[in-house]
Amino acid sequence: MTRLFEPVRITLDFLQAIGQRAVFFLATLWASPRALLRPGIVVEQVFFVGSVSVILIGVGGLFVGLVLALQFYTALARFGATSSLGGLVALALLRELGPVLTALLFAGRAGTSLASELGLMRATRQIDAMEVMAVDPMRRIVAPRFMAGIVSMPLLAGIFSAMGILGAYLVGVKMMGLDPGVFWSSMRHEVSFRSDFVDGMIKSVIFGAACTLVAVYEGFHARPSAEGVGQATTRSVVISSMVILALDFILTSFMY
Amino acid sequence: MGEGPLIRIDDVHFGYGRHAVFTGLSMEIPAGRITAIMGPSGTGKTTLLELVTGQLHPDRGEVWIQGRNLARLSRATLFRLRREMGFLFQEGALFGDLSVFENVAFPLREHTRLSDTLIHHLVLMKLEAVGLRGAAALTPAELSGGMARRVALARAIVMDPVMMFYDEPLVGLDPIAMGVILRLIVHLNETLGMTSVIVTHDVKEVLKIAHGSYILSGGRVVAQGSPAELSRSRDPWVRQFLDGAPDGPVPFNYPAPDFSADLFMTGVRR
Ligand SMILES: Nc1ncnc2c1ncn2[C@@H]1O[C@H](COP(=O)(O)OP(=O)(O)OP(=O)(O)O)[C@@H](O)[C@H]1O
Ligand SMILES: [Mg+2]
Repeated sequence: MTRLFEPVRITLDFLQAIGQRAVFFLATLWASPRALLRPGIVVEQVFFVGSVSVILIGVGGLFVGLVLALQFYTALARFGATSSLGGLVALALLRELGPVLTALLFAGRAGTSLASELGLMRATRQIDAMEVMAVDPMRRIVAPRFMAGIVSMPLLAGIFSAMGILGAYLVGVKMMGLDPGVFWSSMRHEVSFRSDFVDGMIKSVIFGAACTLVAVYEGFHARPSAEGVGQATTRSVVISSMVILALDFILTSFMY
Repeated sequence: MGEGPLIRIDDVHFGYGRHAVFTGLSMEIPAGRITAIMGPSGTGKTTLLELVTGQLHPDRGEVWIQGRNLARLSRATLFRLRREMGFLFQEGALFGDLSVFENVAFPLREHTRLSDTLIHHLVLMKLEAVGLRGAAALTPAELSGGMARRVALARAIVMDPVMMFYDEPLVGLDPIAMGVILRLIVHLNETLGMTSVIVTHDVKEVLKIAHGSYILSGGRVVAQGSPAELSRSRDPWVRQFLDGAPDGPVPFNYPAPDFSADLFMTGVRR
């Protein structure tokens, strides 16, 4: 009897979880303009998010660029088209790999620290204390972090792609001996600012919003205990990774 | 001082899930007085303070503050009311990412547009009052439990609230710090007419300064009166609580099935 209704129950639970997150999202949007009245807090959060992730993301970008250039170079060499190496790597990075991999690294580094920070605030009753002091935690804690995520993700993705292109330059020009002029001009040729650069940035902004929202939601609603904080942190990485990959598919299908 | 109740709790029922904490609790907290609330651990003293500050809502019954029904207030009005409340958390609940100074300055920075100099003076005054002016630059992680609670107290009173709720203000304090805090509570009450509600286990200390007191047990008020009345009382509830006797009407244990049933696992499975 109960077996039969298990799928129904799971579906209902799932819908409820989505609903709760949607409400939280709207509450965050609602609190955001008022949080902007205190830009200092947002800037502080941008610095925090940036400083914990920038090295990871820079190094990550460099390695991805190195690998991409090696792979593309061997493939292109077969058609004698190695002169397009720079353009191809830049396209792959700006449109796809930069935003997605940055968001995944962000979820693993900045996202987890946001989730555990808020979970700890919940467990040690700092969030309750704020409410009793008549300070709205949505405005004071959640909204500034949300906006910092939106601002910093495109910046970090930019750093990722720039480092990736540097990596491709090292492989293409310094290792394989391509002409640097050819390398850079192929990039100018292949990459369009409007469609490629802007599309990538739009993705990053959306990933930034999604990633931070998941992280702060999980932290904010952590069960008030040590295990609760740990679970919130883990859930935050798992859920935001899934959300990023799903959103990437949806966004890409709209952009082409 | 002392006209009419500031807070009226009217037949409040409340439970966490199926675990009932209050079953018809009524009490009145007079304005401008120090009221002690005592009772065994786990009877719901903290829960009571959370109901009074609107962090929790009664399942049935009403909480009235300054003639207003808490359940009927909009969030904005509730927040305005809370600016007149100070709340000392049992856990301290200091902000871990802020220094001691910034913790105490937090309500001022959020709610006022005072200059930095003025905030500096106010914060140091309050820290001095709890004897921790020298700790202003420390972070909460560098404080002992008792020190953290005193900083939390300084933060709770920094806006000079009309009513102050203390959840176990004396736990973990040495006798000297305890004396300082008790004198501070009396001083705030006398000079500012601050209504004070103290939840405590330190019966003897607090009864020295309280004007009135309630003893809670089993979800309701079992005794009330001035400290003098309580100490004269022959009521077994009061005697057991004031004298600290293990046997008597006050249940010491969390409600549990019959012990032998639990031992032989014939009772309810959990
Ligand atoms: N968040 C919660 N969820 C479920 N039950 C809770 C919760 N908080 C408290 N309780 C239960 O409610 C009862 C009252 O708890 P409360 O913290 O109000 O007690 P207390 O009188 O303050 O005790 P103490 O003197 O130990 O601080 C306890 O039995 C506790 O198990
Ligand atoms: Mg308590």
